[in-house]
Amino acid sequence: MSQSASTTYKYSATSGIQHEEALLFEHAHEAPSSVNLPGVDGDVPADLAAFSRSAAAGIPGLSEPETVRHYVRLSQWNHGIETGFYPLGSCTMKYNPRVNEQVVRLPGLCHIHPDQPDDTVQGALELLYELQQWLCEIAGFSNITLQPAAGAHGELTGLMMIRAALDARGQQHRKKVLVPDSAHGTNPASAALCGMYTVELKSGADGRIDLNELRANLDDDTAALMMTNPNTAGAFESNVKEICSLVHEAGGFVYGDGANLNALVGVARPGDMGIDCLHINVHKTFATPHGGGGPGGGPVAVNDRLAPYLPVPRIEKNGDVFSVLHASDTSIGSVLGAIGQTGVLLRASAYIAAFGRNHLHKIAEDAVLNANYVLSRLKDAYHVPFDGLCKHECLLTDALQEKHGVKTLDIAKQLIDLGFHPMTIYFPLIVHGAMLIEPTETESRETLDAFCDAMLEIAAQCEAGDTDILHEAPIKPFRRRLDETQAARKPVLVWPN
Amino acid sequence: MLEAVGVSGMRDLFADIPAEFHLQQGALNLPDGLSEAAIVRKFTQAADKNRNAGSTACFLGGGTYHHFVPAVVDYVISRGEFLTAYTPYQPEISQGTLQTLFEFQTMIARLTGMDVANASMYEAATATAEGALMARRISRKNRVVMAASVNPRYRSVTANYLSRLDGECIEVDCGEFGTDIDKLIEAIDDATACVIVQYPDFYGSVYDLALLRAACDAHKCLMVVVFSDISAFSLIESPGALGADIAVGSGQSLGIPMGYGGPHLGLFTCKQRYVRQMPGRVCGMTKDANGKRGFVLTLSTREQHIRREKATSNICSNQGLMCTAAATYMTLMGDAGLATVARHSAAALQSLVSNLPEHVSTASGAHYNETVLSFTDHAARGRFLAAAQADNIFGGIPLERIEPGAQARHLLVATTEMVEQDDINRYLSALEAAR
Repeated sequence: MSQSASTTYKYSATSGIQHEEALLFEHAHEAPSSVNLPGVDGDVPADLAAFSRSAAAGIPGLSEPETVRHYVRLSQWNHGIETGFYPLGSCTMKYNPRVNEQVVRLPGLCHIHPDQPDDTVQGALELLYELQQWLCEIAGFSNITLQPAAGAHGELTGLMMIRAALDARGQQHRKKVLVPDSAHGTNPASAALCGMYTVELKSGADGRIDLNELRANLDDDTAALMMTNPNTAGAFESNVKEICSLVHEAGGFVYGDGANLNALVGVARPGDMGIDCLHINVHKTFATPHGGGGPGGGPVAVNDRLAPYLPVPRIEKNGDVFSVLHASDTSIGSVLGAIGQTGVLLRASAYIAAFGRNHLHKIAEDAVLNANYVLSRLKDAYHVPFDGLCKHECLLTDALQEKHGVKTLDIAKQLIDLGFHPMTIYFPLIVHGAMLIEPTETESRETLDAFCDAMLEIAAQCEAGDTDILHEAPIKPFRRRLDETQAARKPVLVWPN
Repeated sequence: MLEAVGVSGMRDLFADIPAEFHLQQGALNLPDGLSEAAIVRKFTQAADKNRNAGSTACFLGGGTYHHFVPAVVDYVISRGEFLTAYTPYQPEISQGTLQTLFEFQTMIARLTGMDVANASMYEAATATAEGALMARRISRKNRVVMAASVNPRYRSVTANYLSRLDGECIEVDCGEFGTDIDKLIEAIDDATACVIVQYPDFYGSVYDLALLRAACDAHKCLMVVVFSDISAFSLIESPGALGADIAVGSGQSLGIPMGYGGPHLGLFTCKQRYVRQMPGRVCGMTKDANGKRGFVLTLSTREQHIRREKATSNICSNQGLMCTAAATYMTLMGDAGLATVARHSAAALQSLVSNLPEHVSTASGAHYNETVLSFTDHAARGRFLAAAQADNIFGGIPLERIEPGAQARHLLVATTEMVEQDDINRYLSALEAAR
């Protein structure tokens, strides 16, 4: 284990100068703001003054240096992809190129108002229109909306279009949505929000959609199947063509959850396989930063059957002139108060531009290679529920460790002390004690080896019965395990006045 | 690595994808990949085709406002630890995001005068829809009444969200460029889940909500208050003080650039007793195994990853980085700075409307930083907009762009602290010149 010892030295968490940082509200505050504000220094008009706020809100101000120090210290309590490996399955935590941050901050792209005249935003419209073309081409569809603000929002948008298409056929009664039991929780939640109901499809023994189970649940009430491909077990649904045919023959649509598009980008296209519409998580596949939870972006690409129902506003091109279309007779309407989360979309555009026709396939190839490399190194030490090669993520469970009293949660927390962000845990729900590892294409073999060494070290600790340390972990970060039960039982969501 | 995996080539890794779907390398109709320098050139050329508010006086509002963003805000959200972190599902190594969210929630609750805030929604229109859905869950009624003086985009998204569910969504005409409380009260009945008003309304009008609050109590319906420029609440009474049960809106004014529509920041606040019906993520305070104070995402049994089709919303992400921006902005400003922003924004509008030539009219009554200017006809408005643009001024938004069906002679005009007296003088000159 000499290699393991040296990598532990290189990567494991340690302590240097560490600062506790008080809550903002516990700092001493100076009354005047340190910000020198521009503008018209006039009085509030009398009719407005009649509505004056009775007491100040209680927003504590800090000087600029104190503000910077407060948030820099807080930032140092965080782990980000720029800090280290972040193998969250189904989250695609790849490196976010810095040039993307630079270009979206150009004044001509960031200080433009969504209701400026179209002739003053031709450059922005051109970039967004081009992104539409690129995403359609990459995913294999004929049209797209950039409006949805996230993947879940895209699901709702796609289901709205499917309902509109069914309405147009006079099939308002079709409200049943089939969702595999391996699906993201957003799938059933989005269907409910769209006034539909879900029927869960039990996965087959190989973790994939069971064709008999699918056939048994297709009927005249079926509106759609929502499928994630590769699925959340990291397996490609090789029967995709037959699955789509079955759904189409039953009069339904196939909704593609594009959360795992990173496995296919440049290599194969969901639109070619029979999927009718697909949301694309640009914050996953196209490297827009996750920001501690968002913003995301969930453009929805569609084929000709659903194109008439796309949301407005939409970008149109006439000759060399771009314009924004605000209304259309067949559209489902708007799902957001804007054309989309433009800053997120432009980062995705810059990312695609960097790869282009000649390099895009390397994204999926390297992502799938890295995941299979991790699988190959860990498959003897951890239980692998489904055999065979994986796609961009590999699924393990804690079955071998549980007999030593160690659970997935303990393994995850010990990884923190060894210097890694844990993988996705307890998802998908179709296996007990799931550990879903998605390394992405931007990690070096050195990093993958260090992570695998850490995983093997934990497995060895279990075998040796050296498990106390695993139950205690993590001990190195600023905070140990947190009491989530107390937080939920008596929620304290704001600091008292 | 291929050898370790046990395959002989990359394509073997994709053998489970039927051969008919394999793309030939280079088959996609995309341009060749660009160098970093070429990407910067491409985006700079595109940016140069746009006119931006950095060099143009901006009188545009309608839900998006050109407020000042101090340099520190962008610095903080550019730090990789904030920028490139995922949702804080592993709280031990995400205390930075979590404490920031807790501070954000606290400050948003205080500004809006509400008990609690969540960790944000996408933006104001979807937050409005989620507010209506939450009111339906709390009241167990499904009739939603919405004032026509709510931003038409928020109304359209809300009506869209509700249209596929049982129940009804009624829009109440509120007269021209204001909010007619009497008409709203008439529309409320015992089957009403909530009434949705915007304050200040879409036309910038500020008005009293006391009678509406009383009518809501009489019919056991919730009052949902929507806002588009939260900077108002450092000057005028907050939604909470006026009795809102749920207050939602945009936090874009808190240090977030206009960015051609996003990413912005949806805010969601409510009374404490309703927290378990809130949509979206929320951060709460707790202790760690050593008894030290710490923060976690909490009340997750409301959410889709646990509750699936029975969740309070399908939302999974939030606008985390924008929360960090808003928290940083509010910390820099404090009460005093926020009050100055609000006072300057209001004073600029006052300076403009009190000097209008007689061929342009505006609604009377209290306005914060937004109003409607009415011209004699479409041509007169067009002459002004052209003259303004020629003098580097975005003069306003043609009302019908946001409110379909409005006469094409009105202009929605907004001011912020970024508008200087000289900008107003030039604006007035353009009005004169285009008479």
